[in-house]
Order: sequence, then structure tokens, then C-alpha cells
Amino acid sequence: MSDNRILETLAGQGITRRAFLKYCATLASLMALPPSAGKAFAEALGNAPRPSVIWLPFQECTGCTEAITRSHSPSIEGMIFDMISLDYQETLMAAAGHQAEAALHAAMERNHGKYILIVDGSVPLGLDGAYSCIAGRSNLETLKEVAAGAAAIVAMGSCAAYGGLPKAKPNPTGAVAVSDVIKDKPIVNIPGCPPIPVVMTGVLAHYLTFGSLPELDKLGRPKAFYGETIHDRCYRRPFYDQGKFAKTFDDEGARKGWCLFELGCKGPVTYNACASVKWNGGTSWPVESGHGCLGCSEPDFWDAGSFYKALSMPARPLKMAAGAAVAGAVAGVAIAVSNKARKGAAKTAHEKTTLADLEKSS
Amino acid sequence: MALLDIPVVTEQGPLTGNARAVLGEVETLLDSLLRTGDGGIVDIRGLPLTAADRGWLKAQLGKGEVEIHLDIGGHSSILETAYPAVWWIEHRDEGGNLVSEFIQVAYVPELISAHPDDVESGLEHLRNRNADLS
Repeated sequence: MSDNRILETLAGQGITRRAFLKYCATLASLMALPPSAGKAFAEALGNAPRPSVIWLPFQECTGCTEAITRSHSPSIEGMIFDMISLDYQETLMAAAGHQAEAALHAAMERNHGKYILIVDGSVPLGLDGAYSCIAGRSNLETLKEVAAGAAAIVAMGSCAAYGGLPKAKPNPTGAVAVSDVIKDKPIVNIPGCPPIPVVMTGVLAHYLTFGSLPELDKLGRPKAFYGETIHDRCYRRPFYDQGKFAKTFDDEGARKGWCLFELGCKGPVTYNACASVKWNGGTSWPVESGHGCLGCSEPDFWDAGSFYKALSMPARPLKMAAGAAVAGAVAGVAIAVSNKARKGAAKTAHEKTTLADLEKSS
Repeated sequence: MALLDIPVVTEQGPLTGNARAVLGEVETLLDSLLRTGDGGIVDIRGLPLTAADRGWLKAQLGKGEVEIHLDIGGHSSILETAYPAVWWIEHRDEGGNLVSEFIQVAYVPELISAHPDDVESGLEHLRNRNADLS
């Protein structure tokens, strides 16, 4: 741990106590904690030492790092870099090569058992991990070594949390999640492609304030941010309840901001905080920009069927139709014919789901 | 082009009745402040309020005598409502986006009070200034 207290470090950056109180109140609000928790955050965080953080990027696209570092500064998201001692992040650090590896091992030794490990990217197991290596060592080797001395692990992004895009079928590199490799350390998953930056701030702030990870759901995600579906918090939800749906991306319903369910929005089955936290400094989020949720914070979202198919339609219609045909059911044959036609149409043109399609499939 | 320049018009949503419950909570907190000295805070953004609900709530609470504006990592405002000791607090980021919003029931919102450590630091600076001037 660094000797510097967080509030002292922030004061050196020109951030006043009142600004810090404001950030903590906002953070508590974002984490759906009682409003009084803002004061608890401020008191505990202000006096806490800056924790050592080691951040390992594995099989990833750097989108998670971009999402956090491109946030407006000083923002609630960006402030995390003032609250921690980031001792290793090969994309951001000035050191390279042997110097960078020396910094990693020095931080591990100095803070053994106390540092927080952040991982973004999946871990490839194929060919003994040879698909992704850093400093001549596989990600698998590095993860096992660094995780051994960590107090807790944060799996940032859907790749680290679930395997993500590298794990998409046919998963050529044998990609797996961090939790598939490490079984003896507390792990918090922060999925999303990319994840919402402030979630990481919230998790680390919670850890520093209360000395424990926040309450997690069955997929290891902090309930404060992943406790409700996108649909639950969507400002277009009243239109869903009223049965008002956009049928295409440019019809009158779309212009009036009606519900995007029929255009394939995965909001009803996706747990994330985009609807309340938003993106780009609170400017907007996918549904507000007119596109349905892709479900990127759920496992295997890339293999879950078309982004533009309504949830009420079968996820794998061709597979279902084949099974029915083998059984010799007349209805199954009809579905198979229907699916074949739908597949052909989807190949030749951008697939649009209309209310008529939904009625046919029900 | 700013977001507001894009010609998309969304409906504000209906009055759900949830804001009425918030008004009841404020009444309870105000009563507690008088009896025990402890008020409380309501997190507006954590409640399922439509834009219409929020507007209704703000209109019901009205406007009081005191307005405080702070520039602390973005603009913040603390406005007294028509009910003394009931404050409507808005925090914005440097881009002007609303990041959190509260109703606080307190004689004086604690964000306004100076912290003893800061007062001590200020006193030291003032002593140094006076010493330099003498």
C-alpha cells in the first residue's frame, strides 16, 4: 500500500473536500446505497491508504481500458486513478520490456497478499496457452502467479468475466474466464463490452471503505449495478407497458422514442446499469440513441442469436425445426419451411422483425 | 451537433403517483428533524420517477429564500424549497450533466459546513499571512 492517504493525494490534484464529498454522494447514489453511505464513503476513503493495483490485460481488444481512460476528467470514473496506486498496466505505463516486468514483480513482492488484481481479457488455454503471451510467458502462467498474492480479483469486461468474444463459437483459442482458472480467491465480475467505468470505481471504493467486496449475484456481479434488468430501468418502459413499439428504426414509433423490443432489444434479459448510469459522461446510452440493447453483460451474448430478433421469437429456430421434423410432426414441417424462408430472407436483406413475424411464430 | 439538436421527441411519461410517496417521506423526515434533530436524505435518481413525476414533485415543494451555487468539479446547486429545512440538491459534472440529485432535510446541508481540518489549515495560512504583513 502507498503511504499517501487518498484525500491528501486528491488535495494535491486540486480536488477539495467538498468536491470529494460530492463524488462520494454521487457514488453512493450510483451504487443504490442509502444516501447516508455517501458520508461513510467520504470518511473512510479519505483516510484510507491508496491500494496497490496490478492490472493484467490478456486476450482482449483494449476497449475496457479505453472506456475508463477516455472518460471525462475529473469525473467519478477518472477519479479512481487518483485513489489507487496503479503499479502495473502495460498499456498505460511508461515502462516497457524488462523494466515493466520488474515493476510488476516489485509491486507483487512489496504488497503480497494486499494488492488488488484487475484482469481484462480472456485466458486462452489452447496450445498450452501459446495464443497469448507476454514477456515470453502465457497468460495462464502469469495469471496463476499474480493471483496467488492478490487480496481480491476484479474481472473487467465480458472477456475476463465469461470468456467473451474470444470464446465465441468455435472458440479457436480455448478461451475461458478468470473464474475458470482461479478458484481460491474472491473474484468480482464486471461484465460488459465494454463495462461501465463507474462500476469499477464503485467496487474499489466499496472494498476500500468496508474492507470487503460488494454483494454479488449468482454470476459474481455486484448487485448494486447488475441487480435489475435494462428493461426495469429503461425510460422507454412505459411504452412497452402501453404496447407502443417501434417496428423499424426509422418509423414514427422510433421517432417518438417507443419501445425497441420488437427490433430485438435484449433489455428484458440483460442485467446492467446502462439505463441509469448512461455513457460518455451521462450523455446517452444505446437505447436512448435508438438501438436496442445487445445484452453484452450476459454470458455468451455473441452466440445468443440475432441482435435484431425479438426475444419472443425462438433463439435457434432452425435447430427446433429440425427436431420437430425428425419426429414427423406436421406442425414441425411447417415451422421448418417457415424458418427456411426466414433464413433466406435474412441472408438477402437486413432482417427486420415486425409484429406480423411475432404473430406467425407464436 | 449536440444531442438536443437531434430531432427526436420523446414523451415524458405519465404521472405514476410515486412522487406523492416521496412527499410523504419528506414530511416524516421534517417531523423527525424537529423532534430529534436528525433529518435525512432522499435520493431522487434512485427512485422510479418519470420526468413528469419529477416535475410534479419539484412544483409541489416550490422555491424558498436561499440559493447556493458551488463550483466543485462541476456545478452544484443547493436550493431551499418553500418548506424551511427542505433542500433540493443537484450535482452536475464538468460537462453540465446531472450526475446525482437529492432532497435533504437539514437545518443546514452538511456540504456547506467547513470541515475542522480545513478550518485549521486556513487558520495556519492566515497566521502566516498576518506574520508576513507585520
